Amino acid sequence: MIVIDPSSPTPPFEQLRAQLARQIQDRTLAVGTRLPAIRRLAADLGLAVNTVGRAYRELEEAGLIETRGHAGSFVSAAGEQGRARAQRAASEYAAVITSIGLDAGEALRIVQAALGHGLPDPTA
Amino acid sequence: MSAETVPTGIRIARLWLAGRGLAEVPPTPGLAARLTVRRRARVAAAVALAVFLVAVALVNVAQLPSDATDDELGAGRLVALLGLVALVLALVLTLSLLDRWVWRVDQRAAAALARRAAHPVRPDWRSVLGRARAAFLVTTFAAATVLAIANLVVRDSTARYAAIIQVVGLCGLAVGTALQLRHVLTRPVVADDENSLTVDHLMRVEDAREVAVPTAVWSLPVVSVFATGLDSWNYAWLAFIVLSVVALVAITVATARGAR
Repeated sequence: MIVIDPSSPTPPFEQLRAQLARQIQDRTLAVGTRLPAIRRLAADLGLAVNTVGRAYRELEEAGLIETRGHAGSFVSAAGEQGRARAQRAASEYAAVITSIGLDAGEALRIVQAALGHGLPDPTA
Repeated sequence: MSAETVPTGIRIARLWLAGRGLAEVPPTPGLAARLTVRRRARVAAAVALAVFLVAVALVNVAQLPSDATDDELGAGRLVALLGLVALVLALVLTLSLLDRWVWRVDQRAAAALARRAAHPVRPDWRSVLGRARAAFLVTTFAAATVLAIANLVVRDSTARYAAIIQVVGLCGLAVGTALQLRHVLTRPVVADDENSLTVDHLMRVEDAREVAVPTAVWSLPVVSVFATGLDSWNYAWLAFIVLSVVALVAITVATARGAR
């Protein structure tokens, strides 16, 4: 389900983009799923056509959807390929950690630091 | 609020929800207005179809007995057929205006919502109408058209005239049905949460099923070709009507069992 709240401080196009992106990433929307036509979704959500068009354009730029001419917009396989690449890289990283003898907790802290979500614990 | 002070529309909406296993969903004035306009539009569409059938019968009997030879239609019949075409156009226009009326009420209900919800994947005709009903509808129209055209080619002048009426009437009904189904399938969703999305989908399904009942296709031969008496062709029409009614009953029963 997609919900647009006009009273939210988040602009409607961003609400739509974020909800579609989340559903594509958590695979609620499978690869190859056809999204509604821009005009129809705009009518369903009471939005301007340009608002929905902008959300679709940003999803396309992020590689989450692809537009196939008049056939419409579809969930792209690019997201799946990226996920598979991340899984391969994680396997390689795990192999390096095992070979140098680091424990799993420190390995995770290094990853968190690399992702910018946190710093390695200096006391560790 | 006591039962006496609850508006009739709200009470009907509550009953409608309870009948569909959604008793926990509170009925809103918007839902009540949408259900009310649908009830009224269905009655108006039924009256329009009844008027159309009466007019078709009049066009048919007005030219009996024939003033034409076997090879020509005759001036009187040509005028009557032109009148029939005008009737068909009036029927299609009436059905379109009724759809427009429903759409306007839906839009008013949507405008009153504080937020809007929609499916990321729109339900298509397979989930709204269902393959079985779609196949039934197409087969019914195709079989009626084949029978009417066979009457047109094979039978005498009087039966041919009735068959022309049948073909023109069928064309009008086909266009009217296609326009109504298109409206049901493409009209915007009116919802603000998961429950109202379910309600909107159920209304769409019921609207589509209502449009897909070919009552007028069954009635058309009765007011046109049956005027020529009961012969083998008319027994074929009777068989067509009985078989398609049985098929629709079977589909309805199978759908109800599948929904349990």
